Amino acid sequence: MKSSENREKPNKNNNESEKKQEPVTIQYLMKTLQQLQSEHEVLKREMVKSRRIPSGRIGFAFLVIGGATLAGSVVTSSSILAFIGLGLTFWGALFLFARPVRFVKSSLLDSTALSTYTTVDRIVSDLGYKAKSIYIPPYPKEAYLPEYMKGLKEMIVFIPAEDSATMPTLEEMAKKQFLLKNPKGICITPPGFGLSSVIENELRARIPQIARALTTERLFESLPRVMTSNLELAKNFEIKPENEVTHVRITGSVYSNLYSREQGLKSVHFLGCPLASAIACILAKATGKLITIAKDNVSYDLQTIDVWYQTLEA
Amino acid sequence: MNFPLTPSDISLWIAVTAIILLVTSELMGSYSDYFGDFVIEKTRLRLVALILGAAFMVTVVLRIVMP
Repeated sequence: MKSSENREKPNKNNNESEKKQEPVTIQYLMKTLQQLQSEHEVLKREMVKSRRIPSGRIGFAFLVIGGATLAGSVVTSSSILAFIGLGLTFWGALFLFARPVRFVKSSLLDSTALSTYTTVDRIVSDLGYKAKSIYIPPYPKEAYLPEYMKGLKEMIVFIPAEDSATMPTLEEMAKKQFLLKNPKGICITPPGFGLSSVIENELRARIPQIARALTTERLFESLPRVMTSNLELAKNFEIKPENEVTHVRITGSVYSNLYSREQGLKSVHFLGCPLASAIACILAKATGKLITIAKDNVSYDLQTIDVWYQTLEA
Repeated sequence: MNFPLTPSDISLWIAVTAIILLVTSELMGSYSDYFGDFVIEKTRLRLVALILGAAFMVTVVLRIVMP
């Protein structure tokens, strides 16, 4: 009995001491929480400051001070003041000239594209289609087509019901239908169609030869520069032709988050992200052949995206 | 009340500024990993650098033609 009493006593003591410690711990935790919250607020403000687009105040300030200094140099005939004034005026003008017009966060780009892929995912899973897409090149804008065939001038991507499906006829494509019956499948506008137009315009503006004719050789030469330097859609961009397959490696793409497992999108793999889809559109236009995304591979950190485009015979 | 700088002074100033801008734009183009987050129109910066470089060359030619 004694031994059992002895055992109970330390337990009681422990409970009492725990009860005493509890308010102390809670107080300590509350204090820590408050401290962390205030730190969080400070960090948030600093982050907003660092991400803010330059307003141009510095540029204006430099211009005003520079102008005043230049005027002062004329009055006092001081060459030192003239140099300072020239420098300030020039850098002020440069800051205003080189200021970006508007920048959008890349996370916003992902969120705008997300709904398109979710919709395609739902349609494809509901209809039970195979995950495959075929990019169909449009007729050139300059080409003459009768009124009822004008639908052929639009870039479309065909998602067939079966793997071994034949291609829809010209008449069917010209009708601008969404659901096709023979062969079974759906026709949609590629998610990268808008982006492909921007890339093409940039290519035509930068490279006069492409303005005349969009050929694959010129495309392979100039596309990496346009993607990385001009449009800054990716940090690095490589494109290699391998017989009937074109291998594209995109590093640091602005759309890389669409491939994350959290999003769980299936259509992004067979349609390609807007960037991959835009490349498919451009390849289809340049070759005049059907293009399909044969395979894609995304690195674990989503930084490198490999896409293999296959050319199909119509 | 005269402007205190001579044409040679301005030529020197243009040369120094052109070098600074050309080096900056070249570094920005080559090391895009490090300068990728710079919120600036890199193409415009390069354009200004090239214009200043050309302006310096013009001043040099003028000094040769009209010493």
